[in-house]
Amino acid sequence: MKFQLNILNNGGDCCGSDDSREKQCGNHTGCGGCSDAPDASSRRQFLNKASTVALGSFSLTLLPMSGDLLSDEPSPDDPDGAPADAGSRTADQSDEVVYGFLVDTERCVGTGKCLTACREENNVPEGYARTWVERFVHYKDGTVQVDLVPETGFAGSDVPPIAPGLVDRAYFVPKLCNQCEDAPCNQVCPVHAAFTSPEGVELVDPDRCIGCAYCVQACPYGVRFINPETGNADKCTWCYHRIKRNETPACVEACPVDARVFGRLDDPESELRKRLAAIPTSVLKEHLGTHPKLHYVAKSGEVI
Amino acid sequence: MNWKLIFSRNTRHLRILVLLVVAGGGGAFFVRSQMIPADYGQNGPYRHAALAKIEAQPSVLQSDTTCLKCHTNVEEERSESPHAAVRCLHCHGNGKQHIVDATKAGEFPEHSIPPAKKWDGKFRTHTDLFITHDRATCLSCHTRVVGMPDSFLSINVAAHLEEQGAEEINSKNVCFECHEGHSPGL
Ligand code: SF4
Ligand code: SF4
Repeated sequence: MKFQLNILNNGGDCCGSDDSREKQCGNHTGCGGCSDAPDASSRRQFLNKASTVALGSFSLTLLPMSGDLLSDEPSPDDPDGAPADAGSRTADQSDEVVYGFLVDTERCVGTGKCLTACREENNVPEGYARTWVERFVHYKDGTVQVDLVPETGFAGSDVPPIAPGLVDRAYFVPKLCNQCEDAPCNQVCPVHAAFTSPEGVELVDPDRCIGCAYCVQACPYGVRFINPETGNADKCTWCYHRIKRNETPACVEACPVDARVFGRLDDPESELRKRLAAIPTSVLKEHLGTHPKLHYVAKSGEVI
Repeated sequence: MNWKLIFSRNTRHLRILVLLVVAGGGGAFFVRSQMIPADYGQNGPYRHAALAKIEAQPSVLQSDTTCLKCHTNVEEERSESPHAAVRCLHCHGNGKQHIVDATKAGEFPEHSIPPAKKWDGKFRTHTDLFITHDRATCLSCHTRVVGMPDSFLSINVAAHLEEQGAEEINSKNVCFECHEGHSPGL
């Protein structure tokens, strides 16, 4: 509303309100802008104002926000008076839970048990994945090879083994949704189907998504895909349905070496917080400013 | 207010403009109200009912607490061993149907619990409960692969068996000649 008023004031370029202008113009004193015949000048000014108001109100109706989001006044269904800002997660102050995730690349043994577990838990179609594990092999001649761990692990697959003598160092890097605090996927969705839960988990509204794949392109980590069975965007949710029941995500449950740690970032007593405090960690593509809530232990510089 | 001026002939176009603005704006508001779901914006800029729908998805993977309710001895056997962090489903599968059967048997003693299936050689969580006196279970983790951390106990099977003087090198349960699954002494 402020927007319209400002423009209106600018439009009245000479003498403020209509009343004062008429009075002054009657006396023919001061106020050069009003020296035209009163009729024509007021019509021109009125037209100016009217078209501004018209444009302003049209653009307001097109804003994709409901009325109560526009004002900071407490709305009837938000008695706390917390500003229901689109970007902030403070709307639900009462039970603010923030989840975090830690991946330890020093522990991962690449058996791929998490991959099957995720597929079974979330019904992910073959050929797609919500989580995957990469193997980085640094050869002694300086080349780096990155390959994808099969679901059976390399031991159970027919991938020819690499001769250990050629290898300088090698490690596994599990990848999943970073649950970015400033998630680009969320920002581009044209129908608000990609959204952030009160716990800071990025989710997809299955009834609202139109499958436009905007978010798939926006995610800098390549985490999203269009599920061919549902036609919706699909992604790792940190097993939102499980964590709401106080269970751990399926991949964490399936990891035999605790390379994946899930927990609450807001609870100083959680194992996650303790491990984050004890060891230096880093996040993927920090320079993009997405502020991931997925942290990596011993992430090598080559891993992006 | 100069009513005469407002309703004079000179302002006819203006009045039409005002009418158009009001009608157009009203129409836009109507279309918008039809396109935005009723529970949109209740808790943030999204459809509130979506949360409940996503939460309702059933959990498939079982956690250890369920298994250990009945198999009380396992927790003890496992606690001091290198397998303390290994969970039941890593070697025995998901066991969802087994839990259904066992719960039923607890209520009605005449209900029998079907025996566990044979291990199919792969880690498949949908495979319900299997017994694992099979080297494939052990080797799905412990085969040495480039990329494993040095601290992880991985073996080159042939070399290890020869070193240890295994009697039946090709037998499926050769690992169990020396090791116990729940507490594999090293
Ligand atoms: S990792 Fe990708 S899908 Fe996950 S929150 Fe960030 S941008 Fe969105
Ligand atoms: S695919 Fe779905 S969730 Fe992604 S941007 Fe399009 S509508 Fe939104």
